[in-house]
Amino acid sequence: MAIKFPSAEWIQELSAQLNASEAYAQAAATWEGDNIFIILPDDDYPATTYLYINLQRGKASDARLLRSLDEQKALFTTSAPFNTWRRVLEGRLDPIQGIFSGKLKLVGSMAQIQRTPKATYEMVKVASRIDTDFGS
Amino acid sequence: MNGYLGRILRVDLSRDRLWDETLNEDYARNFVGGSGLAARYLYDLLDRNTDPLGADNPLFFLTGPLVGTSMTSAGRYSVCARSPLTGIWGEANSGGFFGPELRYAGYDGVLITGRAEQPVWLSIIEGQAALHKAGDLWGCDIYATQARLRETLGDPKTRIACIGLAGENLVKLAGIANDHGRFAARTGLGAVMGSKNLKAIAVRGSGKVPLYAPREFKAVTDQLLVLYKDDFPAKSLRAYGTAGYLNLSHLLGDLPIRYFQVGEHAPADDLSGVDLAEKFLTRNTACHKCVIACGRETHSPTHQDSKVDGPEYETLGALGSLLMIFDLQAVIHAGRLCNLYGLDVISMGVTLGLACELFERGLLTPADTGGLEIHYGDAAMVFRLIELTARREGFGAVLAGGNAALAERAGVPELSATVNRLEVPMHDPRAYLGMAVIYALSPRGACHMQGDMFDLDLGRSNLVEVGLDPGDRHENSFEKGRIAARLQAWRNLYNSLTLCQFENPGVGPLLAAINAATGWGLEAEDLISLGKRIVNIKRLLNFKLGMTRANDRLPDLLLKPLKEGGTAGHVPDMPALLAGAYAEFGWDAESGYPLGDLHQWL
Repeated sequence: MAIKFPSAEWIQELSAQLNASEAYAQAAATWEGDNIFIILPDDDYPATTYLYINLQRGKASDARLLRSLDEQKALFTTSAPFNTWRRVLEGRLDPIQGIFSGKLKLVGSMAQIQRTPKATYEMVKVASRIDTDFGS
Repeated sequence: MNGYLGRILRVDLSRDRLWDETLNEDYARNFVGGSGLAARYLYDLLDRNTDPLGADNPLFFLTGPLVGTSMTSAGRYSVCARSPLTGIWGEANSGGFFGPELRYAGYDGVLITGRAEQPVWLSIIEGQAALHKAGDLWGCDIYATQARLRETLGDPKTRIACIGLAGENLVKLAGIANDHGRFAARTGLGAVMGSKNLKAIAVRGSGKVPLYAPREFKAVTDQLLVLYKDDFPAKSLRAYGTAGYLNLSHLLGDLPIRYFQVGEHAPADDLSGVDLAEKFLTRNTACHKCVIACGRETHSPTHQDSKVDGPEYETLGALGSLLMIFDLQAVIHAGRLCNLYGLDVISMGVTLGLACELFERGLLTPADTGGLEIHYGDAAMVFRLIELTARREGFGAVLAGGNAALAERAGVPELSATVNRLEVPMHDPRAYLGMAVIYALSPRGACHMQGDMFDLDLGRSNLVEVGLDPGDRHENSFEKGRIAARLQAWRNLYNSLTLCQFENPGVGPLLAAINAATGWGLEAEDLISLGKRIVNIKRLLNFKLGMTRANDRLPDLLLKPLKEGGTAGHVPDMPALLAGAYAEFGWDAESGYPLGDLHQWL
């Protein structure tokens, strides 16, 4: 059954699938940093939503929905309107293209991102495999 | 004539004559400046009989209409001539401060013909030009040359363009250095300068560039300063330089490894621009009015190098992964040697890569190399070969002819990694298929500065307003060919404005800046038309020099799919891609000849 995006269930599913992925474990072996994905409202989605996930050396933990940014600090935040996230998760927008073009606004350690771009690609690859319900 | 000084300095070295010539306003209006304007001038001065290293080959230093203004990124100059390396149109450009200073000294450009009897250098100070004997400078490296000339002139702010030993020795891989270690590196124009016995040009001035609407111009340039503060590509370049792309390039299969034959190799990540910044960066350096400061000044303790310009991404590829050298300090040192002698790191690296490959295959033996064993991964041998090349000593005299000449000499032209005899840069066209068009149609041979599909498809450019959307890098289609051609037109405009390609403010601000500087009243689509006209004049000139449609091709080496990495299995579909590009440029499908109204500009 498809899991609604964005939701606590969806980010927990991402966490589970990342932990099951050998390719992600390898690609992110040196990655250290928790993330908040910020889903901004647009025509198809009404309210700002925050998804938190802790990513340390190829393993994911503590995945949950945040009520606000005050609840949790993170090394990285990535924000974009709902439909931009949808395009990324459906494979219609390359995540690195999204970051460089400013469609995905990323704040965090540039060193980490630029040294291990494969971690980002593998995470998106795993996320794309989740049976996701975008609501339309 | 707003946006221009209106003066070209003419130098006839054979007759020891200097005079001013009024800039041709029609040419400037139709071909802008830099390499476009140079192509229009040189169209009348070059033909098939022009010897690239002869007195009759004109060498043109040219700026663009925004150079020396408050426009960020407008600090470059172009150098153009018939290339001794390729035999076709040669152009190279460089940042720093030389271009702006030339304009402050009173000139848009310097057109040099003839050959001095003895080595000379040229000074252009506050509108006054003079030739000086350069006997004691001959043999100096590029840093010593610049230091000594600044001392001679008694002005530390004098800007100097010069050649090193490689240019003096007519090495076809020689570039022209300025502002310490910045280079107009490609197509061997340092050898053209050397063939004229011209060691250096020193410029200094206090003039200003006349602008059509100074207040509006300042408003645009102020707006751009803010734009680059938070721009992700700009922040990345500031933090890690062009080298910051290396890990991503490796992931995507864009980074050539082992002479373009391996798609992925874990140690390549050790050449990371992040590591370079964290371990060996001394400071950032910036060109005129640049707010990014992507330039690197590094050090290499192992090799006792305390101050090195670079390395750029291209250096890390050409003198690193291509040669299976994954030690950052070794690459820094190899880059420093190329700088000292005045060599193009791309052409040098790709020529050395072929030497390694030939040796590996037994097509080159110690009997051919004066006893040298040339193997992948041997940094010490690379250092030695760079020096031998610059000095044209031993096997270095063979390497001095470049990659294509070496492949021909070994009887395996199919192993050459060149397009029209210019060595392929560190962007594999199998990773971004649009680059296949860019390389095949580039007016100067394989060149990533004639169209950066890797930036466009990564989303690093900002060109939607002129129909250039980021796309799928592995799209192999007529439409991709069209996009690549359009991008090539755009970057040819940049190379004529002599703007830095790392600053992409978008069409609106750029258009506003051009119009405020020149008063031309251009619209967005005019920019692409101008770019196409510039591509076309260079193409007509190349046809005049003997090129045909058959030259629009990639080397066999780059048409073989790689088995691994980010480009595994992908090869460009050249007929489909080229058909799209021809259609976009309006070229005859059979002959490849530019059609339309171009001849009215000649």
